[in-house]
Amino acid sequence: MSFVILGLFGIAVLWMAVYGYRISAKTAEDYMLAGRGIGIVVMFFFTLFGISSAWTFYGYPGFLYRHGPAFVYFVWGCVAGFISLYMFLGPRLWAVAKLNHFLSPVEILAQRYESNTLRVLLALVLLSSIIPYVGLESLGVGLGFKAFAGFHPAVGIIYTAILLICITLLGGMRMTAWINILLGIIYTTTFLGSLLWIINVVTPQGLSQAAHILAVKRPELLYAPGPRVVGEPLFTYPVIVGVFITGFMAFSWPHIVMGTLTVRGKLIFKWLPLLGIAAGGIGFYTIPFLWGSLVAPAISHMDGTLVPLASGKAADNIVQVVITKYLPAWFSAFALMGVIAAALSTAAIQLMTSAILVSRDLIHGFFKPDATDKQLITWTKLAVIGLIILSLGIAFWNPIALALYLTHVAVPGFAQWAPCLAGGILWKRGTKQGAIAGILVGTSILIVGFLFKFPNAIILSFLINTLIYIIVSLFTFKASDQVERIFFDEVDEFLREKA
Amino acid sequence: MREMFKHTPGRIFLTILFLSLIGILWVPRYFFEPRILFGWLTPPFLAGIIFVLVWLVAYLIYFFKYWPFRD
Repeated sequence: MSFVILGLFGIAVLWMAVYGYRISAKTAEDYMLAGRGIGIVVMFFFTLFGISSAWTFYGYPGFLYRHGPAFVYFVWGCVAGFISLYMFLGPRLWAVAKLNHFLSPVEILAQRYESNTLRVLLALVLLSSIIPYVGLESLGVGLGFKAFAGFHPAVGIIYTAILLICITLLGGMRMTAWINILLGIIYTTTFLGSLLWIINVVTPQGLSQAAHILAVKRPELLYAPGPRVVGEPLFTYPVIVGVFITGFMAFSWPHIVMGTLTVRGKLIFKWLPLLGIAAGGIGFYTIPFLWGSLVAPAISHMDGTLVPLASGKAADNIVQVVITKYLPAWFSAFALMGVIAAALSTAAIQLMTSAILVSRDLIHGFFKPDATDKQLITWTKLAVIGLIILSLGIAFWNPIALALYLTHVAVPGFAQWAPCLAGGILWKRGTKQGAIAGILVGTSILIVGFLFKFPNAIILSFLINTLIYIIVSLFTFKASDQVERIFFDEVDEFLREKA
Repeated sequence: MREMFKHTPGRIFLTILFLSLIGILWVPRYFFEPRILFGWLTPPFLAGIIFVLVWLVAYLIYFFKYWPFRD
């Protein structure tokens, strides 16, 4: 029965991908940016579930489960970051891309700073950060299959990879966005449904009962700094602040920035923050918080539990294990479907974004500027296949805990283009020398910090990157008049017009 | 954001958001004592909910009354 459900789910996703292929216009703009025609409802699901990956189901609750509630500050930072992108940068990014037919945010910045060197640099930094993240999603599903049926993680990884390839190759960005409606509904239903059901079964007196169990058995899980790690407190005051700032860098996540180029009109930017704050920030993200900070640890610490305490990477799939132990087998299959939905919804956008960076910014921007639409689409599709193989290789080679993939590899890498992204769109004085110098120094600090495990390398690299960008920009010649006209005057005029 | 700086409601909106950011980064110093509200609500979560609600109210007023672009 369970495998029939998963089979039907796979068929539904494939059918949507095929449908997307049939209705697509077969142009590069249509394949890469959904013809710049995404409306508010699709856009809401596209962004919310593009953000909410397998990490939200596994890594985030797993980290709360082990270290207490202070890690929620990462998510509060993310919410503020995403909303800031759509309130402050989104309209201008969308307008300049639409007016000038830009197909990628890196292309926008390359034109803004008049630098092909910057284009290659940005594409490489972003690709090296995003590719492991794609692997993380498949790995998340692999863990789900293992917790659900005891399969080797490779089974889930291959299942996810096949669906991912079909969605992105056939459906392009349009179907990647549309499928997120289906995936988002499945994800939310299973995630919220499982939480309510588990509370009803295991702690019938509600969340207060769960908190009471923790207060008696493991009180340090209810407040900062959380349980000690190797004898040291983890969530000290500076760490909590740092975690928030790291989360705030979400405004620069490339797959979410890419979303701003796909929208139909500027009114989307007026309404999307409402859905983001109310439905996303207050609504959706409460579910994994309650799962990871209260319900799952209370179950592990209560007398006669079916789920003994998990530590290290084993804590990543604690939600799936609790569901498998306490709820009927058929519902476990739904929960696994929710995880697959979560992984697919994010990985498909990441894969599309990465493939566009390869085809549009590296190949077209550097080696073959006179490429046709057909060639661009072909390269993007080939890049999808190559990138998914690469991402899976990295995930197998270095399977660190899921929460760490996001906070220690992906987000710090994304943050390296944040100063030149925000500066390029909002600050006329930003220069290519400032952007290149900032990225080179910031990324170097990040790599050294990662290799030698320096504390605070993530925040430090971002701050120094920003500082260098500003200082070097102020001491070098500003961009040409043409850039100022295209990126500021024409955008201002276009946004002032009636929608 | 450039347009928001150009008129008073926009500057007020940005100031409120900025102050709320200062606020949410200030309050973690009070998270180190065992304190639970309503039997289950932990302070880091409550702080974030208040922060997000401030953003929501400020956004609703500014975007639907003073949005700098034409609908």
